[in-house]
Amino acid sequence: MIDTVQAQPDDRALVSIRGLTTVLNGKVVFDKLDLDIPRGRVTAIMGPSGTGKTTLLKHITGQMRGDAGQVLVDGNNVAQLRRDALFGLRERIGYLFQNSALLTDFDVFENVAFPLRQHTRLPEVLIRNIVLTKLQAVGLRGAASLMPSELSGGMARRVALARAIVFDPMLILYDEPFVGLDPIALNQVLKLIRTLNETLGITSVLVAHELEAIKQVADMVYLIANGKVVAQGDPKTIAGNGSSWTRQFFGGDADGPVPFQYPADDYAAALGFKQGAA
Amino acid sequence: MSQRKSYAVGTGLFIVLGFAALAYLATQTTSVVNSHQGASYTVDAQFANVGQLKERAPVKVAGVRVGQVQSISLEPGKDIADVKLSIDKKFSQIPSDSTAVIYTSGLLGDQYVGLQFGSAKQYLANGGHLVLTRSTQPLEEMLGKFFGAGGTADAFGGSYDVTAHFSNVGTLSIGAPVKMAGVSIGSVVGVKVDPVKLDATVTMAIDNKYNQIPDDSSAAVFTSGLIGSQYVAVQPGGSPNSLKDGDQFVLTQSAMQLEDLIGKFLVNGSSSGSNNAGGNGSSNQPAGKH
Amino acid sequence: MSARMEHENVVIASLAQIGRCGLFLLRILSAIPRSMRHAAETVRQLWFVGGMSLTIIMTCGLFVGMVLGLQLYHVLAIFGGTSATGSVVALSVYRELGPVVTALLFAGRAGTSITAEIGLMRATDQIAAMEMMAVDPIAYVAVPRFLAGLIAMPLLCCVFCGMSIFGGHLVAVDWLGVDNGTFWSNMTATVDVWDDVVNGLIWKSLVFGGVISLIAVFQGYTTAPTSEGVAYATTRTVVASAIAILALDFVLTAFLM
Repeated sequence: MIDTVQAQPDDRALVSIRGLTTVLNGKVVFDKLDLDIPRGRVTAIMGPSGTGKTTLLKHITGQMRGDAGQVLVDGNNVAQLRRDALFGLRERIGYLFQNSALLTDFDVFENVAFPLRQHTRLPEVLIRNIVLTKLQAVGLRGAASLMPSELSGGMARRVALARAIVFDPMLILYDEPFVGLDPIALNQVLKLIRTLNETLGITSVLVAHELEAIKQVADMVYLIANGKVVAQGDPKTIAGNGSSWTRQFFGGDADGPVPFQYPADDYAAALGFKQGAA
Repeated sequence: MSQRKSYAVGTGLFIVLGFAALAYLATQTTSVVNSHQGASYTVDAQFANVGQLKERAPVKVAGVRVGQVQSISLEPGKDIADVKLSIDKKFSQIPSDSTAVIYTSGLLGDQYVGLQFGSAKQYLANGGHLVLTRSTQPLEEMLGKFFGAGGTADAFGGSYDVTAHFSNVGTLSIGAPVKMAGVSIGSVVGVKVDPVKLDATVTMAIDNKYNQIPDDSSAAVFTSGLIGSQYVAVQPGGSPNSLKDGDQFVLTQSAMQLEDLIGKFLVNGSSSGSNNAGGNGSSNQPAGKH
Repeated sequence: MSARMEHENVVIASLAQIGRCGLFLLRILSAIPRSMRHAAETVRQLWFVGGMSLTIIMTCGLFVGMVLGLQLYHVLAIFGGTSATGSVVALSVYRELGPVVTALLFAGRAGTSITAEIGLMRATDQIAAMEMMAVDPIAYVAVPRFLAGLIAMPLLCCVFCGMSIFGGHLVAVDWLGVDNGTFWSNMTATVDVWDDVVNGLIWKSLVFGGVISLIAVFQGYTTAPTSEGVAYATTRTVVASAIAILALDFVLTAFLM
């Protein structure tokens, strides 16, 4: 039995998802999903692998459209926006990719300056100041002339973060920001997420697996499985909330709603024993 | 930023190099070299046979280029080629009784018009006319004179499809041109074997504007140059009647085969081929009247 | 039965690819006005695609010219026509070898690098990142590379032909004893600017450049975003470009000459 939770209506939600249904390649990714991302808070989205957490982020940015339901970002129905309006919306959203996605031909400075050069006609001096400020915020001002290939994974992620905040967006989406980082780099990224949220009030959505990290940063957690929200709440208390999902996901059971055995035919028959034979 | 500047410089250099190469190729290696058209004046000359002369072929005096051939045309009803020459204004002292001769550059080269100075005090001016001309000699006629093989054949009917019988068409094929005085007047539209006469029937389509070809003209299979493709040359006769659609060339001369030529050479020794020599040859007799 | 079905699938799959490629061309062409603001990127790509191919083009041009001079001299000597070596080298290079060999080299060097670069950008989410930053990836990534290839090919072809003439001259005049004056005068008498240089060289290389750039950008853009997808795409770029070049060569020759 899968427990589903009714969405709590929140008038101050920056992102509001209602009844989202998406089918990809015959597989139901989201099944009447309801979700709210409150303004000014850090929200984490967790779930088993393959439940479409990254797909959810793509719905928010308009890179994908659901088959039914609606996704509202700051009051705009993303699926109905025209190209220019959609691009305008995206300028107000920062996105941190799992593999940083820095442009390999440009050095760190140029990478962070890229959105500024593309969308504004600011004088060079102003661009320089903005870029250096953002780099200072992530602690990499001294690395401004390095190429992406010369950066470690954690540094690359921080540069990507500097690029994502160059326009002081209203919303930042983090796609698996902690994967592959050593504890020091992980703490640096955590600190940045916290600082951006506390000092600039940027709404943050985190897609991640690492509950310990999430506990330190997130105000709210959604657990998504089988296309629906199966648990939500404060990360510090959600592990103890008692549903079978949270027991398996946070409690460490190997078997539960997500089965250990990949679906297969009868074991005895596969080994050659006839049913009922001695 | 400095990265961008160096790309721009490098790209600019590349583009300049490319265009420089193009300019070099276009001006130094092509015929543009020869054709800076200064002011020029036009004179015309008539030839019985222009051979392989093409438009824009050079016009030379004492081997030095003074102009070029502007146009080559055949007046309908006449069998003379009318050639207009465009001569550079700086060569304005060519005597008006000069001779225009069609020469060949070397053995395989293109043909050009050479002007041999005459002695008149008057000079050629725009619209002038060169009275004295010497035409090219087609290869077959030269060899024919050498071996005495084949005379000119007779007239051909003028209409619009005309046939001729040849005992050997050589490599003549459909689409080969039909020429008179070196200018194309039609083309070959059919080459078939006649099962009764056991020779080849060639059907030619001749342009309607050339409808005054005497019906005793001859059709001969000639070769362009030394190793070129073959074509049908019409040599006008003197009959007052013209060829019409469905007529047949009565006098024809077949293609010369290399082996027969060599054979003749060996059998007859060298020059002064007489008609006997022609008679002893094998298959390249004039087809005669069928 | 199943072999025949597979065969049909290959044919149909190829036709589908060509169709998709054509539609992609329309996308690129419609994005050209939008990419005018990224002109600096086009300049940059022109350097990478054209300027960096210069070495291979010049070297191969030189060798092709030298081989031609050598081969043609020996064939013409049979007919006593060695004075025509210059013109035959020039004609064969301008009309056929120049555009075709340059195009094949270009496909191998620049075409594969375009495909690999774009494919890698796809695989490392850089394209998605650009979409996220509200930069149109077609206008920023695809169109500059396409335009760069289109512009670079005729220029490279001219350089190739220039080097070939030089190589042919080197072999014929300096090594085989053809008279220098005869070499050049025969060439200038036979080669025509409009028929050979413009019709043969320029038009052909423009068309080839466009086709190769289109195929390279298309393959890079539509490859599966994995490393093996990229590897497969670069091979397909070379194969498809080679077939397209030689087929178009025939069509253009029949059309233009």
